[in-house]
Amino acid sequence: MDPKNISLEMRDYIWEMGAETLNWCMQCGLCTNLCPWRLVPGETSESFNIRHMQRLGQMGMEGFEDEKSLFACTTCGTCQVNCPRGVKIIDNVRAMRASIVGAGMAPGSLRPILGSAHANGNPWSGPREKRTEWQSGLDVPQFGPDREYFLFVCCHSCYDPRSTKIAKSIVRLLTAAQVSFGVIGVEESCCGESMRKIGDEELFQKLAESNIGLFNGRGVTKIITTSPHCTWSFKNEYPAMGGEWEVFHYTEILDRAVQQGKLSFSRETGKRVAFHDPCYLGRHGGLYEPPRNLLKSLPGCHAVELNRTREMSLCCAGGGGRIWGEVPMGERFGELRIEDACARGAEILATACPYCVNMLTDACTSLGRQDALEIAELSEVLSRTLS
Amino acid sequence: MEKKTGVFVCAGCGIAQSLDLESLKRDASEHVQGGICREHPCLCSPEGIAYIRQCMEVEGLNRLVIAACSPRVMHDVFDFGPGTVLERVNLREQVIWCHAANDEDTQMLAQDQLRMGIIKALECEPPAPFSQDDFSKRILVVGGGLAGMTAAMETAKAGYEAVLVEKSDQLGGYMKSVHKLPPSGPPYEELRDFDLQAQVEQLLATENIKVYQKARIARISGGPCLFDVEIDVNGGPVAERVGAVVLCTGAVPYDPHKLGHLGYGVFPDVITALQLESMFTSTSVVRPSNGEPVSSVAFILCAGSRDPDHLPYCSSACCIESLKQAKYFKMSNPQTPVYIFYRDLRAHGHYELFYKQLQKDGTIFVRGTVTGVEDDGSGGLIVTADDILTGAPVTTESVDLVVLANGMVPTTAMGEPFKAQTPAEGEETPAAPADSIIASDILNLQYRQGPELPALKYGFPDSHFICFPYESRRTGIYPAGTVRAPMDWARAVEDAAGAALKAIQCVEMTSRGGAVHPRSGDLSYPEFFMQRCTQCKRCTEECPFGAINEDEKANPLPNPTRCRRCGVCMGACPERIISFRNYSVGMIGNMIKSIQVPDEYEEKPRILVLACENDAYPALDLAGIKRLSYSPWFRIIPLRCLGSMNLVWIADALSKGIDGILLLGCRHGEDYQCHFIKGSELAQIRMSKIQETLNRLVLESDRVRLEQLSIADYPRLPEILESFAARLEELGPNPYKGY
Repeated sequence: MDPKNISLEMRDYIWEMGAETLNWCMQCGLCTNLCPWRLVPGETSESFNIRHMQRLGQMGMEGFEDEKSLFACTTCGTCQVNCPRGVKIIDNVRAMRASIVGAGMAPGSLRPILGSAHANGNPWSGPREKRTEWQSGLDVPQFGPDREYFLFVCCHSCYDPRSTKIAKSIVRLLTAAQVSFGVIGVEESCCGESMRKIGDEELFQKLAESNIGLFNGRGVTKIITTSPHCTWSFKNEYPAMGGEWEVFHYTEILDRAVQQGKLSFSRETGKRVAFHDPCYLGRHGGLYEPPRNLLKSLPGCHAVELNRTREMSLCCAGGGGRIWGEVPMGERFGELRIEDACARGAEILATACPYCVNMLTDACTSLGRQDALEIAELSEVLSRTLS
Repeated sequence: MEKKTGVFVCAGCGIAQSLDLESLKRDASEHVQGGICREHPCLCSPEGIAYIRQCMEVEGLNRLVIAACSPRVMHDVFDFGPGTVLERVNLREQVIWCHAANDEDTQMLAQDQLRMGIIKALECEPPAPFSQDDFSKRILVVGGGLAGMTAAMETAKAGYEAVLVEKSDQLGGYMKSVHKLPPSGPPYEELRDFDLQAQVEQLLATENIKVYQKARIARISGGPCLFDVEIDVNGGPVAERVGAVVLCTGAVPYDPHKLGHLGYGVFPDVITALQLESMFTSTSVVRPSNGEPVSSVAFILCAGSRDPDHLPYCSSACCIESLKQAKYFKMSNPQTPVYIFYRDLRAHGHYELFYKQLQKDGTIFVRGTVTGVEDDGSGGLIVTADDILTGAPVTTESVDLVVLANGMVPTTAMGEPFKAQTPAEGEETPAAPADSIIASDILNLQYRQGPELPALKYGFPDSHFICFPYESRRTGIYPAGTVRAPMDWARAVEDAAGAALKAIQCVEMTSRGGAVHPRSGDLSYPEFFMQRCTQCKRCTEECPFGAINEDEKANPLPNPTRCRRCGVCMGACPERIISFRNYSVGMIGNMIKSIQVPDEYEEKPRILVLACENDAYPALDLAGIKRLSYSPWFRIIPLRCLGSMNLVWIADALSKGIDGILLLGCRHGEDYQCHFIKGSELAQIRMSKIQETLNRLVLESDRVRLEQLSIADYPRLPEILESFAARLEELGPNPYKGY
């Protein structure tokens, strides 16, 4: 084998793209072992080794740009929260992707996504003017100075037909809870969280600047998000760029409303419901209790805990841009979740993230379990029991 | 003085419930020769001790046999002073806890064990400590580097006088060329300055330390408290008497000329860690090839170390020293490209934080084997390595300097192997394999077995690494610092303090006539009945501690203060002329002879166990504590060391009708566990000569078996014992029963 050259220039470039802790890694390999890709068979599982990828990055050596490796990470964060060196592994992945995508070498499969986000302000190829179509049939208030919260609906729930139900349920619940909220509408852009994870730093900056200008211009101070990805980005990425607001995931607002007696659920559920912790709500956002509290407040609801839960929750595989990835049946993390939920006798697998709903629904269908197990967003389960 | 023996049987801990104490006392009374035999419900209680003392006073007892728990417990409670012979009989751990209660065979076992204890007590004499009025308690420190200076200072601080001998004209050793020290306090990220000169001045101003510089040891004779040291200084000899020696001559870097494959001697810009350190000390860090400043550098760790073709061991300090040197470059310019090629980065403890800091500084760590150092054609060097972490060969960008962490070799390894005198034609070859001693011209001991400390491996002085790392095989001589084992400066400082304290322990113990580790405080020592000596040299050859010199006629010349009291000489002597007052061939022989051997029709075999009291005996105790049970045919006699086993005991036992003999000793070989280094190995060698005895008696060789055992092996004991008993049953009873 011909020796590979160490390139300090490349190493320093990756470093500058945000891999500030790349050199801290001592290559113990715990990350690789904890990676959910180890739980499934297949080509990606065999080729993607996060320890090895970071090693190549540390030495600025060629090889890491291989698409199957570089774009495999779902940014679930299981490795990161367990890293003995405190390496910010997701930042490293992001920076390594940025060093390639920034040079105009994004993988072909992701180009339309990035292109749509550039052109339409959303990655789903939805025209900007149709961003509010999901509201038809609902009286969704407009955000203004009289409104306490600005409700930011994830692009996925604006355009994806299945996902729009989530937005609708959340609106119904917030209304029932007498929350003062409103939406802005077509001028909103994607939060950019996934775009940045894919490595398109420039696109993220553009989307974020657009949103910050819009929100600040409208006098937004408090935001309710429907997706934990948006929550995380607004809370963790936007402040450095001038976007400083109080940001809540909708489950926090509803949980508080239930506790204050402003919201209650009267219709019997009578079902066994398992909750899948979304990575960005739980591991990244630290919110484990609000969704569970809400389930507990449902009359006749039997809550079931999955095998891997809370801090050790298993990723749906939809983060880090993977929602656009093509994964053969039998290699999807979601399938493990479905099997687990079924084994535990759950009738509904609820979650609180539109990406998770998307991924788990695919997995459930591919396993042919859709009759035994319903995949639902928590808001959907809750809104059904409103009287 | 008239022997007056008191036998005290304890009824506590279930002993009375398991044994017929009346019958036991009746049997014992027949053997105490005018002594007394008493029982007490709890001998270790204050009342029990008071009772024993009262009996001693009333009856004038000077020998005590306490039949109760194991001698390994309650030794501080059953302490009646050095003038009283005390023998403990282990009825609890080795009788009632592992054998059926109120059983005929258990009772017979208890009787035999008690009888043997009484015989031993009757034959013992209280030891008279060895003493001379010219004992010295001064400590000689050989070598004035960091370890030597520390040892001397610690000695003086403890109130003892130190004599420090340094070969060069300055103290400080390796530290003289050291620029800075690695971090030693939080946050463990920055280097530390140190002031060697201040330390040297403090030492020179210390009253209790006598310093010889530009000096060497011409010879050392004698033993602990009696070492006579001849020092060559300024061309003239000086004599000093000292009590113990701390050896701190350190290590030297491995010869880099043997590292041609890493470019040393091929490219001028490949240098050693010491050369780089000296550059920083002299503040002239330039490339040797052209005198230009160094703008990039690669460190190659394990250069020679952990390499079977060079130094098979880890040199321990190089990882941290190289990190430190990498930090020098990062401190002067954080942008300097620095590569570290390593195998395993051994940055233990808080050094982990330092390692992490170097990673944060952007040092490139490459894990794997360096396969080449080459000229890049423009005056720079390129290092190629097989990187384990990417599974691929990698090359560096061009670097200005390559630094080899070339490890350390102990100064004791520098010299020709000492050749023991080969036996003359017709002379019997010694049983023990010769010690590995390298004539390194450091201590120049006037010992029959060689002039320096015996090594175990790689020229490092042997210590009992597992149990007592400071010890050497020469009593009263304690190696410390990098001469003992590869270590960094911080460990060397601790090591030197430890060795100084060991040396002080040694002079204190010896001046009271006591033994040092592991039989600490033992006042007995071997006495030689010289009239019957045949000058066979076995004792002088086999003593693991070189305690016995010999005169020109090959008569042994014992040095009692060098003795560790293991009794290996006693086991070696074919004439049986070496005895301790409380441990002798005759004494153990008579114990064996006191075992009652039922005739073959009773079908009660008897098996003798000679158990090393350091590992095997405690393992037998543990088996009892864990209530593991085994056959009651075994009669156990503890030995100081299996190396003290004399073959005559085996002949005694077999000719008496005892069916078999099991020797339980420590593991020997590379990672030996023997407290006396080669005792169990010597027992094994002697065993091979047992065939002669067995042939004479027309007995099967299987009747004698040796097993190696550590304390932790106690769960194996029932199986070891039962399988031996089963084999003896196959062989049938010993035909000598009844003779």
